[in-house]
Amino acid sequence: MMEIREVKTTSAAPLAVFRIVFGAMIFLSVIRFWYQGWIKSLYIDPKYFFPFYGLEFIKPWGEYTYILFVICACCALMLALGMFYRIASIGLFFSFTYIELMDKSTYLNHYYFVSLVCLMLVFLPAQMYFSVDAYRNKNLLSDAIPVWCLSSLRLFVGLLYFFAGLAKVNSDWLLLAQPLKIWLPAKNDLPIIGFLFNYSWIPFVFSWFGCLYDLLIPFLLWNAKTRLWAYGAVVVFHGLTAILFPIGMFPYVMMVTALVFFSGEFHQKIISQIGKWLQLPATFLHPNRIYAYSPTTQRILLLGFGGFFCWQLLMPFRYWLYPGELFWTEEGYRFSWRVMLMEKAGYAQFTVLDKEGRREVVNNQQFLTPLQEKMMSTQPDMLLYYAHILRDFYHQRGYNNPQVYVDSYVTLNGRMGRPLVKPTTNLAQEEESFKPKKWITSFDDTITGF
Amino acid sequence: MNTFKRTIAVVALLSGFLWACGESSTTEPAPDDDSKDRKAVLTHLADEIILPAYANFKPKLETMIAKSQAFSAKPDAITLSEFRQAWVDAYTEWQKVELFDVGPANKTGIRNYYNIYPTNVTGINDYMADPSVNLEVASSYDKQGFPALDYLINGVGATDAQIVAYYTASVEGPKRLAYIKRITDHMNALITKVIADWNGSYRTEFTTKTGLDIGSPMGELVNGYVLHYERYIRSGKFGIPSGAMLNGVVASDKVEGFYKKDISKILAQTAHQAAVDFFNGKSVKTGTNGAGFKTYLDALGAKDSATGKTLSETINAQFDIANQKINGLKPNFYEEVKTNNAAMVQVYTEMQKAVRMLKVDMTSAMSIVITYTDNDGD
Repeated sequence: MMEIREVKTTSAAPLAVFRIVFGAMIFLSVIRFWYQGWIKSLYIDPKYFFPFYGLEFIKPWGEYTYILFVICACCALMLALGMFYRIASIGLFFSFTYIELMDKSTYLNHYYFVSLVCLMLVFLPAQMYFSVDAYRNKNLLSDAIPVWCLSSLRLFVGLLYFFAGLAKVNSDWLLLAQPLKIWLPAKNDLPIIGFLFNYSWIPFVFSWFGCLYDLLIPFLLWNAKTRLWAYGAVVVFHGLTAILFPIGMFPYVMMVTALVFFSGEFHQKIISQIGKWLQLPATFLHPNRIYAYSPTTQRILLLGFGGFFCWQLLMPFRYWLYPGELFWTEEGYRFSWRVMLMEKAGYAQFTVLDKEGRREVVNNQQFLTPLQEKMMSTQPDMLLYYAHILRDFYHQRGYNNPQVYVDSYVTLNGRMGRPLVKPTTNLAQEEESFKPKKWITSFDDTITGF
Repeated sequence: MNTFKRTIAVVALLSGFLWACGESSTTEPAPDDDSKDRKAVLTHLADEIILPAYANFKPKLETMIAKSQAFSAKPDAITLSEFRQAWVDAYTEWQKVELFDVGPANKTGIRNYYNIYPTNVTGINDYMADPSVNLEVASSYDKQGFPALDYLINGVGATDAQIVAYYTASVEGPKRLAYIKRITDHMNALITKVIADWNGSYRTEFTTKTGLDIGSPMGELVNGYVLHYERYIRSGKFGIPSGAMLNGVVASDKVEGFYKKDISKILAQTAHQAAVDFFNGKSVKTGTNGAGFKTYLDALGAKDSATGKTLSETINAQFDIANQKINGLKPNFYEEVKTNNAAMVQVYTEMQKAVRMLKVDMTSAMSIVITYTDNDGD
């Protein structure tokens, strides 16, 4: 197994540092999540949840949901330490992904990012260097790994940025400066920079800068000459987003993730420094060994990673299979690195009735939390799922074949609100599928671009 | 310097800058564009509308209380009719302050003690029998305030003579008068506290905490405003009595001012006009429009891209339609629900269109999150 192959190798330090900071960030995120009371308010208190299509079996475990978070936090910590790494990475991938998929209302692209990184880490040799596992088992200990192991991680981070940038190449973002035109003036009372947001050209500057930043940053980080300044831009960009928008840990996750682009020497210095503090033996810090997969394993892994990247390249474009405006229908919107592109708000009032004259205007508060209601009122698949919750509920209450209609009203990026669902559609009869939803109204406006 | 150290230096420098930006400091940058300045909006709303409106309401309430005391001292047809007129005046003036569901008014929940209707007659009778009952709990809401007084001075007898007799009864009379004193004293204590809190520290908080996040004064103000329009004007005054909401169940006895009968329209008109004026930043002192939701929306450039019409114009146009529909009604909503309910439902329908604009278009344009949960159907 551990013999030198004719594969290009690179320092194992960047991957090891990444493992530590990434694991630590997730660990902190879970603690923060718990501390904020979100486990209870998001996954235990609600009466209903919005699962993903085809994954309806994934739902919170009631009071035992805490166990899921305990597993996740422990795995994250073990991953950071490189302790029982294989189990930890697999456990982290499954627990984190499970949590992420329990309720669509809490969907965030950065959760998806974390899930996919965890998936990659399951197969990457991040524990071979500077880990508890390698400390205990000297057979593992190596300070060089195949180049592709590190490159694939960089490629993935690069893809995330690039697609996020590509999604910003649209007329709302570039020509109307929406939604920043709405969001930035709301922050015009910030010290030092707040006054800027009163100028009407500032949202354009931010929009264009944000778009170019996302498109170019992978290349600028990859190139050694521009890397330092690019990283400065990463800190400023994500720092600004952290100040301006309520997006939690994401900016910090990205700031530490971008370190992966730095050279082996850079990361080696970090590790040597920590090693000095911990008084670790030189043989542990500089084993001078190369880690290599067996040819078969390597071939399978490369095939797997190839498939993974093909999937990643295609996912953001699946919306081309749907008619209608992506921002309006959101068919193919998730899992595509489309972040901060829309200011969408809505209102949905459901009426349930049956042929025998029973009729009720639904009080959404009886069924959903404010967050769920907010998300549901603008996202067609959630509107449909909720209509089915209502159908089943009123069926239980003795309605004969309940019909469910919705009076919806949605505003998108400053456009005057209008119905999102055709009001004559009996949603009780419509089925969820990956096919286009014909009951969504047409957008009657054009947003050009990706 | 090597790369490692240089990176650390760059990051430290930038973090320091960002940290400085993110810190909430008390130094206020002078905004170049005053119309987007929320401090100016909030200051105008506080000093030109909210505080003067409270200042106008307080003497009306005090007059009402004085008349109620005169009535208690000497219950007769004259003191009753004076008390009643003062009650109408105060109730009408209340419509101009009920919408300020922010800060002290929100904290004390003053509206709940002032104007929850239909009032609970059985409950009032129970409370009269037990003077120790707590008037500060949710179960007491529908046994006090203007609606309770409505019953007590308009509903306890068919004629004024009967009403006077109700209070001059030898054993029960004094208890009944004592209850009027209890609830009017409670109203006075509440409004005194709200005004005192505004004049104390809250005005400063309101005008200087200019953020828009959940719990910020502006966030709370906008939420309270939209909630008021939706639940207390649209639903309370029209939707519920007309049955437009409760699945067609018409409830004429749920109109505001049910016992007095002929004031429902003036109360609704006053409340709606107050909401419209507040939107337009119309000064209670001078009657001229100033900084408010309208100027703020205009400064943000909120408009319909299809028609080019500003959002504030669209909202005002919808307010006008709703106003016209209210104007077409007769003063007595109890009768309107029974004989002309379609017109009542129409008001509800037009107001519903305004609700959507306020709740969705306006809050989205302002980047304010709606945090109250709507309880249609309750």
